[in-house]
Formats: sequence, structure tokens, C-alpha cells
Amino acid sequence: MSVLTADSRRDLEIHRYPVLIYGLIPLVALVLQAWLPRLMGKYAWFDLPLVVTVYFALGRRSPIQGTIMGCAVGLFEDALTHHAIGINGIAKTICGFMAASVGIRIDVENKIIRVGLIFLLSLLSSALYIFVNRFLLGLALEPDWFAELYKALGNSAIALVAFPFLDRFQLRD
Amino acid sequence: METLFERYRNLMVLLVMLMLQIVGLAMQVHRGDSGHMSLDPHDSKGVRLIRLWANAIVSPPERLFHSSGTSASWLWQNYFDLRHVRDENKDLQKNLDRLRLEQAALLEDARQGQRLQALLSFQEKYIYKTQAAQIIGTSGSDQSRLFYIDKGADSKLERDMAVITADGIVGKVREVYPRSAQVLVINDQSSGAGVILETTRIRGILRGNALGQPQIVGLMVDSRIQPGERVLTAGGDEIFPRGLPVGVVEKVVRDPDQDGFIRVIVKPAAHLDRLDEVLVITSVQPRFPPEQTQDMATSEALKGSEVAEEKAQKKASEIMAERLPGLIDPNLPPDQQPRNDTSNPNPVTHPPMPLHPDRFTPGTDMSTGQSVTGDATSKDAPDENAAKKLATPPSKLETKPQSKSETKSGNPPVKAPAKPDKDATPQRNP
Repeated sequence: MSVLTADSRRDLEIHRYPVLIYGLIPLVALVLQAWLPRLMGKYAWFDLPLVVTVYFALGRRSPIQGTIMGCAVGLFEDALTHHAIGINGIAKTICGFMAASVGIRIDVENKIIRVGLIFLLSLLSSALYIFVNRFLLGLALEPDWFAELYKALGNSAIALVAFPFLDRFQLRD
Repeated sequence: METLFERYRNLMVLLVMLMLQIVGLAMQVHRGDSGHMSLDPHDSKGVRLIRLWANAIVSPPERLFHSSGTSASWLWQNYFDLRHVRDENKDLQKNLDRLRLEQAALLEDARQGQRLQALLSFQEKYIYKTQAAQIIGTSGSDQSRLFYIDKGADSKLERDMAVITADGIVGKVREVYPRSAQVLVINDQSSGAGVILETTRIRGILRGNALGQPQIVGLMVDSRIQPGERVLTAGGDEIFPRGLPVGVVEKVVRDPDQDGFIRVIVKPAAHLDRLDEVLVITSVQPRFPPEQTQDMATSEALKGSEVAEEKAQKKASEIMAERLPGLIDPNLPPDQQPRNDTSNPNPVTHPPMPLHPDRFTPGTDMSTGQSVTGDATSKDAPDENAAKKLATPPSKLETKPQSKSETKSGNPPVKAPAKPDKDATPQRNP
């Protein structure tokens, strides 16, 4: 892995997208996340909004943008559930921040690193979700860690396909 | 020189965002009576507005997907089939593609038709008023097991209405939007429904676990609960009508949180993972078929006429009673009694005097068996005595001694009937 300073790396590899993409892709991810489980039932082991959040955070390499996007997507997800609004928001805010922070320091063009990163961030997101529910809010929510593990694996598999697809929307100089 | 904010601006933005959300979360939870934290069952105005916006954004695309009439499995499978066939033969592919599309569409239509037919027949037989609805989306999270239906306040849906299928209960309406509604499924961890085991009649509360299985919690260890027993709604939760099928007992496990308690895992009767259409119970007022409704109307009409006839008879008898003179007026002296009034066109007839009066004959002395009325011309005297005897309260007859003045005035002494004495031995009639 090449060693570069954070500033030089960020200047070199910031991905840019049309403005519409920033709104449209997360929205499509949210709609699919709400619609596909109806067809796939309990086998819907994925979190498309998280995949999109991590993708843009890694591509933009801006912790602030990653934080804001994670927050917006998480709050939107919360609004579709019957839980308190902010649980997913906190989890994805931290995930977006961490993805962008990591993206500054390591080479995220490598597919293995991308997949590994999305796997770890998925587990982190699930852990944060449970933490906020059980310890911050004191709600009785039993976690199913196997389902969370399957979800992390599913996110990794989707990232393998989705990241190259989303790279096509980049603006090239 | 960098300021503190510029140097740590990323971290500060993160902290600000987190703090805002934590404050927002704190406003949505409250401590319950039992000391445990819980979410408000009904959202506040601001939270409801956020959910409404999110629903308004997501619902139209979901409706679009749903109205296309194709399922994802069909699309997924045919996508690869088409690619494969296209490689083999392009011309054949076109025909095959069209045929498969038509077949899949027809098959899907046929399946949907069968499902709707079954649902309709169930709805017609069902005693309560229901509203059929189709599922258009979910929450997208397996921590929040709920789905959205395509009917809302416009279809007169309200919160806490029960959602069922022909197989069994599904959940309850949690939130209602103008054209859609949020349904909380019974296998969610925050749901709750009162249930009863059919054979053992043990009651409990049904809610979901982390794996998405409905379970009855809070039950003491009971060896009578066996797998296969049916579970029905108990009807005490004011949401689900009593007696609806919930599922069957799948297994009984010990409650890890409470010693001596068990959890009964229930296999739901409704296919909660593969729901397409549901029924929302909009009114628990009984809805009967037309024949039964007509029968009940006829019965009500007959009952009403009987009551009216009875009232008319009662009124007529009251009028007659007012018009007819009484035999004895206690406020009048004996010679002015109404029965002596000869102006009555229908005089009262008296029974003929017995030829051989004995001591049981009214108006005779019990000891001698002779008539006590010396006046033989007064034919009505025995009747008068008998009437007086009847008009006198029994207590007077038992306690008041006969005075001489009464005997002198022509009123025969009436011997009081013997009061039955518990201690006295029964006497034989000689």
C-alpha cells in the first residue's frame, strides 16, 4: 500500500458526480430497501442505504459529507420504521464519518479493501443500532447476530457489484 | 494559524450531528409506569410529519412496482432466462420471450385471481366489516417488522384496527396516512396481542422475538402445553376479535430471563413472510348475510306487533276496569255498597244457597254447622260475610278477638283459621 499524506491523497482521488446522483442513488436505495423485503421475506440480508452511504463517503473522502449523508439516509430509514427516529441515523452517521476518514488514509480502489471495509462497517452499524436501542434508550430489543452477520456478508457481495456500477456515474476530467 | 474549529471541524460536525439526534431520541422515549423505557405508541406531531414525508416519497415508487403486476422472482428468473435464450437463437428468443412473458403474466394473474377469490369468499362469510388492501412495501429493516398497505384514511382506516387474512391474524394498523397505512406485524418485538390456547385455555401475550417468530411470553411452566395445540385470539386486547386463528404451538422453551417461566413459540397461521393481500377489520359490528338480515328484520317486526297487541290488550282491560263497578268499596257503608246498586244492567250473580249447609259452608258456625244469620230474608248475608272475611287481612283474623258488638250487629263471628305451628303435632281429622 502506498503511503501518502492525507491531503495529497484527497486532492488526487476525490470522486465527483452529477448533483442529481447524490439525491437519486440514495433514494433508489431506500425505495429498494423498502420494497425488496416484501418479495424476499426473511432472506433480505442487505442494507442498501448503508452500501450507498459508504460508497459516497469513500469516493468523496470528506468526513463532513459522509456524516451528513449517513445522517440523512439513516433518518430516512428510521422514518419508515416504527422505532424512534435517530437510531439508524446515529449508526449511519458514524459509519459515514468513519468510511470517509478511512478513505483518506488507505487505498480504497482495491476491491478486497472495499469489500472488507463494507463488511466491517456493516457490523459496526448493526452494533451501534443495538447499542443505541439497548443502552442509550433502554429499550428491550433482542439482537439476532447471525442475521446481522448475514447482512454484512450480503452488503459485501452487493458492494462488489454496485461499486463498479456506481463508478460509471463519476465525472471524468 | 488554524483555529480550533478548523482543525477539528470534521469531529465537531460529527459531534453536533450526533448530539442533535440524541436529543431528538430523548424526546421520543419516556419512562413507563413499570420503570422501563418505552416509545410512545403514537407518534408526536413532528415525528408523524417526518414519517408522513418519508412515506410520501417512498410510496409512489412502491405503488409503481406493485402495479406493474410482476414479482421480483419472476423478473429475476426471466432476466437470466432471456439472456440465456438470446445466446442460443435470437429469433426463437423473441417468440419465447413473448410467450414466457404472457405465460408468467397470466400465471401471476391467475394466482392473484385465486388469492383474491379466496379472500373475497372469506370476506363474504366473515361476520365483521372488512376492507381489503394490498401490501406495497416494508420498513426495510428486520428490527422493525411492519409493512405498508395501499389503503389509508381515505378508505376510513384508523389506528389499532386488526389486520387479518383468511388464514389468521397478521397485525394491527399502527399509523394511518391519507392513501396508505403502516401495519405492525405480530412477529415484531414491540407488538402485542392477547391469545388463548384452545385446549388448555391458558391465556398469554403474543409478541415477536429476535428471529421474527411469534411467541407467547410470561407463562409459568406447564406440562399441558404441547406442540400442535391451536392458538386463538383471546379478544381482551380490544384490537382482535375473539376466536381468530393465530397459529399452532411449535415448541416450548424456557425463558432465559425469568426462572420458572416459559416461552411458547408459535407457528403463525398466516404466511407472514409472503403476504400480498390482507383484510383490515374496519368495524366489529356484526355483518350478517342478506337472508339472515331479512330474517332478523321479520323477527323484529313480529316482536314489535306482539308487544303492540299486548299493550292494546292491557289498555283495554284498564279501561274496562275503570268502567266496571267494584263489588266492595271499603269507604262506603254496607247498604251503599256498589253491589247493592240495582241500576247495574249486569247484576252480580251469586251462587245458590246449599240445601244442606255444613260447617264448611261459608257463613255457617264452625261448631254447630248452622247458619249464623238469623235473618232468613237476607239472602246476601252469607256472601257479605264471606266477602268481609276475604277483605279482612289475615293478621286481623288471627289476632283480633271477636267482639260482642260485632255479633250483635249481625256480623257473624268468623273463626280464625288455625295458624300452622311448627312444633305442634298434626291433628287427624275426626
